[in-house]
Amino acid sequence: MAQLSDITNAAIRREIEDFLERPEEIARTVELFARVSPLMQEIAAALIEGDNGAVDRLTVQALDQSVEALEIMDDGLIAGMGIVGIKFRESFIFVPEVLACARAMKAGMAHIEPILSAAGVEPIATVIMGTVKGDLHDIGKNLCIMMLRGAGFEVIDLGVDTSDDAFIEDVEKHCSPILGMSALLTTTMPNMGKTIEALIDADLRDEVQIMVGGAPVTQEFADDMGADGYGKDALDCVALAKRLAEAAG
Amino acid sequence: MTTEAVGPMTSRARVLAALRREPVDRTPVCNPTSVATVELMDLVDAPFPLANRDPELMARLAATSYTELGFDSIMPVFSIIQESSALGCNMQWEQKDNWPTVRMSEPIWRDADDIRIPNDFLLHPDMVCVLDAIRILKKRFGDEVAIIGKTMGPWTLGYHCFGVEAFLLMSLDDPGKTKLCLDRMKEATLQFGLAQIEAGADALTLPDHATGDLVSGEYYARYLKDLHVEFAERLPVPLILHICGRTIDRMDYIAQTGMAAFHFDSKNAPDESMTVMHDRIALVGNINNPETLFAKGPEVVRQEVLKNLEAGVQLVGPECAIPLQTSIENLLEISQTVREWHGARGRAH
Ligand code: B12
Ligand SMILES: [Zn+2]
Repeated sequence: MAQLSDITNAAIRREIEDFLERPEEIARTVELFARVSPLMQEIAAALIEGDNGAVDRLTVQALDQSVEALEIMDDGLIAGMGIVGIKFRESFIFVPEVLACARAMKAGMAHIEPILSAAGVEPIATVIMGTVKGDLHDIGKNLCIMMLRGAGFEVIDLGVDTSDDAFIEDVEKHCSPILGMSALLTTTMPNMGKTIEALIDADLRDEVQIMVGGAPVTQEFADDMGADGYGKDALDCVALAKRLAEAAG
Repeated sequence: MTTEAVGPMTSRARVLAALRREPVDRTPVCNPTSVATVELMDLVDAPFPLANRDPELMARLAATSYTELGFDSIMPVFSIIQESSALGCNMQWEQKDNWPTVRMSEPIWRDADDIRIPNDFLLHPDMVCVLDAIRILKKRFGDEVAIIGKTMGPWTLGYHCFGVEAFLLMSLDDPGKTKLCLDRMKEATLQFGLAQIEAGADALTLPDHATGDLVSGEYYARYLKDLHVEFAERLPVPLILHICGRTIDRMDYIAQTGMAAFHFDSKNAPDESMTVMHDRIALVGNINNPETLFAKGPEVVRQEVLKNLEAGVQLVGPECAIPLQTSIENLLEISQTVREWHGARGRAH
């Protein structure tokens, strides 16, 4: 089993010591970072700092040293984002800090994405995300999107105030996608059910896995609406999307 | 809070005394954000979106909190967007069953130098609507009920005019520029607040969404505490700060602002919040909206009201703008429970 001292980067060691509390998360994170190269650790640490300039520079440096794009994404960017998600869940950091990390992730992905798509690397699955009709809250949805992208999903962001037609149009366009709906208002929550009805009417319900979330949404409500899953936060959203992607085969 | 040796009070006197943390004949029932519901819109024929834009309809719908629900205050501003509309934001006025909103994905400002409070800010129809509604309410209910106005704080105006994500990133990247922006936007808060006082508002709600769901408590101290002190000094009526979500970690700062009251969310326990405030500021709240008022029945509402009364919360009511589909039955339960609780205690003496 790997030890904390096996991690060369002091900043990463500090992050784990200061902010991780759950034993299984500590074990998993130590294992991960003990395995990856010092440069990947440095990329992860810069991402956790929200330092987009450093992530940009280090990503280019790694590519110049012939590190695989996929390795940079998995062992640098996604690995760093894992710690960010936990710190946010535990209120060690807040939305501005997470937005800065997302911006850093984007800076790295700007170099990685073209390489991956040229090489034909398949994303885990396509997720179509939108805030439901009548609702303009999107901070939580955007954090989910960032974590999903960070975990290797392709995400299509339909934005806020999304009509049934817009959801349907994108479900039709993609092969067995996951549909994620977010709602923050009790007045707009029922629109999740309406969209699911519309998908049934359009004969598309069986083509898509549906997940829902947002502060007022509960597992019970998700079941009532006929969704396939409910996630309570962004980390949960990623775990759920992985389960749904597997279920869809 | 003492309730002994005080003769019967009007709703207005009761609210104003509670805001000063002085003795009252019973705990006032108050929602300083909004009690508009679809049922109430139907009852007085004042539906959204018109009730947000026409002073007569606005006043009529607002008055239902006193006439139909037995609350001790009236709040004519149901949303948080009147001044953003006047500042030039792109609006979505929505339908009867949803609140109007600002299209924050189409921000109007990017930089401190973009910030302009128009000379005719107060003459914009969406400002005039609120001012006229307050005048109407003052004439009809001025002696009996506390008429509360609402002026948005600069932090929330920042979300609307810059877009939430852009504004929050700026706060991290450039604290100096953020402070300058807040300082410029505060003029809108002050102007609209003073105009409402002149129109007859007895008190003002000041929503400024620096909530624990978005930013740290340290952020509140860094960016808003001093501004909130300034508002308390320059707006000469009791101010009710409103921040929904988790706020317990910043209540100690809030208590130092000189605001009369803090409208708090059910994510913070009443007794714990009272302990932190330690008689430095009154609390208003904190009945849960989405789970209790919207989705549960009167019995659960009652339990939450009692929890607030027993903790000594000075003004009892919902935590934020109530969901538009909330039943009148649940809302009536609030004032009824408060009256019964005081009645039972009176007999015990
Ligand atoms: C910020 C905020 C705003 C901002 C929105 C900015 C934006 N671009 O999103 C502003 C100030 C503009 C705003 C406006 C309004 N708001 Co508002 N707002 C909030 C606030 C304070 C925080 C919401 C938030 O972003 N939380 C942080 C994020 C990270 O959490 P989250 O969204 O829950 O997301 C997490 C999870 O839920 C999950 N998740 C989210 N989506 C999904 C999707 C999937 C598929 C999955 C698996 C998981 C998942 O993962 C996320 C990350 O962990 C809440 C109060 C609160 N404390 O919740 C009120 C709140 C949501 N607002 C409320 C209201 C009433 C309004 C207004 C109507 C105000 C008014 N009277 O005009 C308007 C309506 C606008 C509209 N039509 O949508 C009420 C809603 C009451 C109700 N239940 O009906 C709340 C609950 C306040 C309250 N206590 O009453 N608001
Ligand atoms: Zn609120």
